[in-house]
Amino acid sequence: MTTSAATKNIRDGNARHLAVDLAVIGSGLAGFAASIFAVGRRIVTAQVGNTGAVAYTTGYLDLLGREDGSRTDVTDPWQALEKLAADQPDHPLANVPREDIREAFTQFTAFLGEGGLAYSRPGERNLTALTPAGTVKQTLCVPATMAAGCHAYAEKSPCVIVDFKGLKGFSGRQVAANLQARWPGLATARIDFPDIMTGEIYPEVMARALEVPATREKLAVRLKAAAGEAKIIGLPAVLGMHRPDLVKAELERLTGLVIFEIPTMPPSVPGIRLREMFEQVLPQKGVTLIPQQKITRLNFDADGATLSLADSFGPIELRARAVILATGRFLSGGLEAERTGIRETLLNLPVVQPDNRNHWYRDRYTDPRGHAIHRAGLAVDRAFRPLGSDGQPYDERLFAAGVILAHQDWIRGRSGAGIAIASAYKAVAEAEKFLSSRS
Amino acid sequence: MTPDIAPKASRNGTRTIATDVLIIGGGVTGAGVMRDLALRGLHTLLIDKRDLCAGASGGNHGLLHSGARYVASDPHSARECRQENELLKRLAPQCIEDTGGLFVAVDGDDPGFAEEFPVLCTKAAITCKELTPAEARGLEPKLSDRLVKAFRVPDATVDPFRLALENVAHARTLNGSVYLPHTEVLRFEIDRSEIRAAVCRDTRTGGLVKIVAGQYVNAGGAWAMNIAGLAGCRDVNLLYSKGTLLVSHDRLTRHVINRLRLPGDGDILVPGGTVSVLGTTSVRTDRLEQVAPTIEEIDINVREGSAMIPALAHARYIRAFSRVRPLLQSSSGDDREATRGFALIDHTSQGLTNFCTITGGKLTTFRLMAEKAADLVAARLGNSEPCRTAAEPLPDGEACRWTEPGGSPKYWYHAGKADDMILCECEMVPQSAIDEIVQNAPGAEEEMTLEAIALRSRAGKGPCQGSFCGIRICSYLYDRGHYRDATGLHHLRDFFNERFKGQKTVIWGRQAAQMELAEALHCGLLGLDALEENE
Amino acid sequence: MELLPEGASFEACLTCGLCSSGCPAAGIENMDPRKFIRMAMLGMDAELSTTPWVWCCTQCRRCQHVCPMNIDISQLVFLARGNWPQDQKPSGIVRSCQMIRSTDSTSAMGLPPSDFVFVVEDVLQEVRENQPAFAHLQAPMDKKGAHFFVNQNSREPMSEPDEMVPLWKILDLVGADWTYSSKGWAAENFCMFAGDEAAWYEVVKKRVDAVSDLGCQVWLNTECGHSYYTMWHGINRFGLSADFTLESLITWYARWIREGKLPVNSKWNTKNIKFTVQDPCMIVRKAFGEAIAEDMRFVVKTLVGEDNFIDMQPNRSANYCCGGGGGFLQAGMTDHRRTYGKRKFDQIMATGAAYVLTPCHNCHSQMEDIGHFYGGSYGVVHFWTLICLSLGILGENERTYLGPDLLALID
Repeated sequence: MTTSAATKNIRDGNARHLAVDLAVIGSGLAGFAASIFAVGRRIVTAQVGNTGAVAYTTGYLDLLGREDGSRTDVTDPWQALEKLAADQPDHPLANVPREDIREAFTQFTAFLGEGGLAYSRPGERNLTALTPAGTVKQTLCVPATMAAGCHAYAEKSPCVIVDFKGLKGFSGRQVAANLQARWPGLATARIDFPDIMTGEIYPEVMARALEVPATREKLAVRLKAAAGEAKIIGLPAVLGMHRPDLVKAELERLTGLVIFEIPTMPPSVPGIRLREMFEQVLPQKGVTLIPQQKITRLNFDADGATLSLADSFGPIELRARAVILATGRFLSGGLEAERTGIRETLLNLPVVQPDNRNHWYRDRYTDPRGHAIHRAGLAVDRAFRPLGSDGQPYDERLFAAGVILAHQDWIRGRSGAGIAIASAYKAVAEAEKFLSSRS
Repeated sequence: MTPDIAPKASRNGTRTIATDVLIIGGGVTGAGVMRDLALRGLHTLLIDKRDLCAGASGGNHGLLHSGARYVASDPHSARECRQENELLKRLAPQCIEDTGGLFVAVDGDDPGFAEEFPVLCTKAAITCKELTPAEARGLEPKLSDRLVKAFRVPDATVDPFRLALENVAHARTLNGSVYLPHTEVLRFEIDRSEIRAAVCRDTRTGGLVKIVAGQYVNAGGAWAMNIAGLAGCRDVNLLYSKGTLLVSHDRLTRHVINRLRLPGDGDILVPGGTVSVLGTTSVRTDRLEQVAPTIEEIDINVREGSAMIPALAHARYIRAFSRVRPLLQSSSGDDREATRGFALIDHTSQGLTNFCTITGGKLTTFRLMAEKAADLVAARLGNSEPCRTAAEPLPDGEACRWTEPGGSPKYWYHAGKADDMILCECEMVPQSAIDEIVQNAPGAEEEMTLEAIALRSRAGKGPCQGSFCGIRICSYLYDRGHYRDATGLHHLRDFFNERFKGQKTVIWGRQAAQMELAEALHCGLLGLDALEENE
Repeated sequence: MELLPEGASFEACLTCGLCSSGCPAAGIENMDPRKFIRMAMLGMDAELSTTPWVWCCTQCRRCQHVCPMNIDISQLVFLARGNWPQDQKPSGIVRSCQMIRSTDSTSAMGLPPSDFVFVVEDVLQEVRENQPAFAHLQAPMDKKGAHFFVNQNSREPMSEPDEMVPLWKILDLVGADWTYSSKGWAAENFCMFAGDEAAWYEVVKKRVDAVSDLGCQVWLNTECGHSYYTMWHGINRFGLSADFTLESLITWYARWIREGKLPVNSKWNTKNIKFTVQDPCMIVRKAFGEAIAEDMRFVVKTLVGEDNFIDMQPNRSANYCCGGGGGFLQAGMTDHRRTYGKRKFDQIMATGAAYVLTPCHNCHSQMEDIGHFYGGSYGVVHFWTLICLSLGILGENERTYLGPDLLALID
């Protein structure tokens, strides 16, 4: 637990006490986005949650990549949002004004950039980005280390996809074989990673090794040889962990090539970059971060909310005047799928869901219409307050954000980051309104 | 007789293959017939419209019956099972884990049945030893504390995939007999009292194959009635019973655990290497294709099984599957009472002299079924060689060992080769296994599908159900030049779709978390839900 | 023989590989945490109880830290170690455990109480005689009712006794009421590393008794990582009752500095020599967490100047184990230990720092060794050394670990 000067931290026998204005529960993109926006508005904030799952992020920030039920790509997300608002008024993205979504993405990517991970700013259209399977997808913002890949694809520039001996699940041949129809100038080459001759190798290991200048020099020699006549090369995402922009720039300097990276399957580097950066930078910005613990109980009383948790030293009681619930879905434990139904795990809030589990999944996995289980979640009012069983907000101090919200399918819609960032922005704005109305 | 197999024909041409015996149906029975005939010097061609064990052979408990289960309802079957059980343990040990079995009754089960049970076992010469509940729970701590009776019997578990692979591989070794997957019979060309040829279609390419044989064996399992019908035969009468089983993440018991009562739903829990298989149900159906588990069947299995083993109520399940059993029609209403015996139909009453159907039966008695069919076929061909499958051990075929649970991790570990990387992390299947399978396994071919590779190994059978390893194996196959275009990607999509069928009804709890991650990866990142459908 | 502990959540594993990706032991003996857990689930207990990898996993718990399901694979490794036949365990670790149990000192080098008392007395005398500013210096032994019970790694009294002195000076300067104990004084505990629960318990019990006998309020852990963890975790695990608190010297350095009792500052660092800091797994990730990582950084920045501190990446609870713990230094598996340490070496090199500060003996030894092996030129120092350096009170014989650049700064 990192302490910040702004929080009051009192030792009381066994339990440690903290008091903040805003408590964010959840350590996914929505939780971190909420903290970022809260910091921007100078709200005294604590964030709690088990961090692990943010490491699965690919690095791409999808606002809206596909229209529901269709197999066609969304190239203009802003326009698609208009249609979405008309067709699906309960969708979380329908309830955040477009200017706010744009502002949210701008602030979020600016924060990432200040934290050492440069990102492209949200544009007017989606970017077509590469995947490790040799398919492409629509996304709004990409890490600067990946941007040249989008550009090379758009231009169909001659390019060599370089992969590494020992790296499983990433095959340059596969990428080239599947893109060759659209991108004939694509070739592939395999190289060794410096100092690792046998056995398997993880992207994380390569990325960290490239933080050391000597490793970069050795790799540059191999990259130049692999590039041949091409001026642009694509790699799996291994361009450093802490300072990817520096690593990329240095390799480009050493090789004279333009270099971009492509996300890999888990365990992948871009997600780890985000996790490590958030965990270091947010405390520096004044957020009290307790990143490895889950809340065991959340109570509301006349004066505020109490969040109970514990670390290896014993109990911690966190008092907050407002709470944002951004605990995610099944993977992160915000929702639990039981045989009898889907349950929200912290407060047992009512979950909008199919009437029984027969209807959770369609028969065909890749059905473009997606599966109803993913649309289950928390219903919220216009202020992003989750509803209780009477259809009214559960508590005026409780807000919800992220993919725990109902009426969206972030997987099929390619809208995970969009929902997380936009709803977090709105939830924080509403929480701020509430807090100032009570101060 | 040597095979006459033309090089891969174009879509427009029909190639012709000649053989001594065409066997239709790649379940364990068909594979058994293939080997039995090969041991007698006869060349065979085995075909299946999908792949090995695509029917009941690939969707059962994997139980090598001691026979005890049938002592009350079908004593003849019980005895057959006992005999075959002993034979197979001796002759095919690589396919079998001799776990032993328990029959257990809990509070509320029929005491009369429990009384009769040991008597009937003795009558059928099946070793049956009574244990006190405490002794039984000492052997199996997960048994319910409401246990009232327990008996120990020589049940064992068998890997039907390996059994089929080894039989086919041995036939190939003996005389070049061939197995062709994705080959479906369209029609027979019949001249007077003989089938002259079977006209088949390769369901992958659409190309036609004409198979000319001296004898034709229908080992089509649940499809036997349809296949016989193609030959104009009306003397195969089957009922279809759908059974659903589920696979748990962990192996919960060492022994096979049977409920000590008349056969009913959810009354057997069979260890399958590193997992346990719970089942089964019996639902009359008239559908042969697209059978899938239902939520009701899952819940019934879990409820009934939990009475014996309470941990089943909270276990993580990774897969459920349904298959159709062919039952010979009987007069009683209860499908479980329909005889589990088998029938060999020689079709002379239908005017054919070179066609027969072997159907009904169960996994445990496949060798016996194959023997009967092979005796008939050999005699009709004037071959007087005796059956040797009751004496000849089943050898370890090339590339057949990878279906053994826990087999490839042990192999990989002891080989200690750092460059032989593990592709399926759950079941620890290395690159070399994939290489071997793609090059040498029965049914191996160019651009083999991921599903076919998975069938011949444990890849995709662990908790991730292929969601990660499918990607790694696919990439590896591109690296090896096995895939050279978008075909691999389509196979990947198909593989996940196929795996999903088995998961759909057991996605809850931890499996829901696993699937959320999988779908985010497959659809959200890789866009496999957007590939063109018709390729 | 069942390797999987009851009630463990291993069935939550998604086989995503984040554990293996973030583990410095991944690839050694062709193993990694994901494979280890799968082999346990696949019932390969025999292999797991004989793979040398269990002696290469330092049980640093980074796998658990990065796992979205919070699965603790190191638990399995500990059990596997316990399953090894005693005569096949790495003899260095076993011997160290035997030595610890051989005298009341609980010293892994077998230094009996009387010898320890003698060495302390001897060195103290020398300091009093040769360093006039410290003519009155104390090193109390067996002082009943003292506030702090201070433990001591055996390495110093056995092979470099002068290295004990900086801490004495610090404690003297802040006016701490402290004592050594002739019984149960040693810090190290190889019995946990040997997978020997019974022995681990015995050692912890002896130390707890020693503290209770003297009636001290605080057991103050010296600059040693696993000594804190084995004591703290052991007390909880074995249900021992301890009438005192367990605290780390780091926490107290930070406190004394804040209270003005330890007037360190960075003015001495006129050449802006760069420092980084190692987060010992046993104190940070496995025990106190971020709070002590923050305290440590506060101390370092005060000592060397904020701009002269370059954090490693990753750091704090996410930092990598250096490979010195878990008995690795005593296991006789040098090649593997150095392979393991490559990530730490890269981390240090990426900072460009001239020195690594660490409050852990095992980290100290390992980082020195891998530095030499991989051709780095950084030095490794304990906090007490640098504190005394900054206060200008570092005696001549207390400068062993200073490089020429630091030595040049001393008048």
